[in-house]
Amino acid sequence: MNRLLLLLCCTLAIGGVPSQNSKSAPPEIVKTVGVFTAPIAIEVFSDFQCPSCKLLYEKTLRPLTDDYVAKGKVYLVHRDFPLPQHAHAREAACYACAAGRIGKYEAACDVLFRQQEAWAADGKVADTVCNVLSPSEAKQVRALAKDPQIVASVDHDLQLGAAAGVQKTPTMVITYKNQRYPVTGAVNYDLLRRFLDQLLTK
Amino acid sequence: MNWRRSVVVILRLALGAVFVYAAWSKLRQSWLLFAMAIDAYGLLPQWAVITLARALPWLELVLGILLLSGLWLRQAATFATALLVMFFAIMLRSYAKGLQIDCACFGFGEAISLKTLLRDGLLVLSSMALTALAFRRSECSAETIARPT
Repeated sequence: MNRLLLLLCCTLAIGGVPSQNSKSAPPEIVKTVGVFTAPIAIEVFSDFQCPSCKLLYEKTLRPLTDDYVAKGKVYLVHRDFPLPQHAHAREAACYACAAGRIGKYEAACDVLFRQQEAWAADGKVADTVCNVLSPSEAKQVRALAKDPQIVASVDHDLQLGAAAGVQKTPTMVITYKNQRYPVTGAVNYDLLRRFLDQLLTK
Repeated sequence: MNWRRSVVVILRLALGAVFVYAAWSKLRQSWLLFAMAIDAYGLLPQWAVITLARALPWLELVLGILLLSGLWLRQAATFATALLVMFFAIMLRSYAKGLQIDCACFGFGEAISLKTLLRDGLLVLSSMALTALAFRRSECSAETIARPT
């Protein structure tokens, strides 16, 4: 039900075309969830190989999606911020973006975070992502991951992060009424929920 | 004014200003932002995180005002040193563990780094020096340090 609602939100956000199925969609649309006109926007700068990012994704972003994004209160934007000390983070970001191009971003994120320890140790990023795709999708994603446009979208996110003053991952930049609030670390969902409610009642 | 008194005045004014600025940078934002930053250190249960997030900025403000005014200098300097040593130890622990978190020292968005550790270390040393000088009654009493004639 939630996924259906999210798909509907994405559809509304880009004027009737499901962004995740559109090959020509701009890179930033591939990784957004929710309604663009939601009062609060949250940009999440994240690294697939960072343990705190895994924690944030699993313990905070999932309930946030159900409680706020699906209800049109928050527009969530995933930004890749692979750190140089993580050997496979950049490759993982490219594969997730490539999966996003065929509408499988969420599935790629899920598996990359769930199996983080395994692929971080053996470097089998492509296999990890492709295991949750059909053979034809996997073939497409393997090719797309090397597409210069995908690589450029990761670089673009890195530049946006640097411009926003991001130093560590995960960093969330919460924007409400043109006011930006940077929040670093695997934020406790209950505190984040209270903060968002406080913003919404302002 | 002898050199010791001058040093005490400079240290207490500098530390007082730092504490007032630290308090202002937190109080001008929602306390929940500070609560999230404290929570990221992973040291306290949620009730303690909430209590600390609400109380600490006010405590910093009072301490800053006391240092600036010179009232109860010995007590204020001792408490400031204890507080700064605690902050420094927690930051050092987080840095050593490789935690990717916000320092939350002066507002939000500044990650713990060597720079923040050096800055906090310098504050600890300054506060220790101020406390030691404030207790040197043989040279000049705390009252005369606080309120030079």
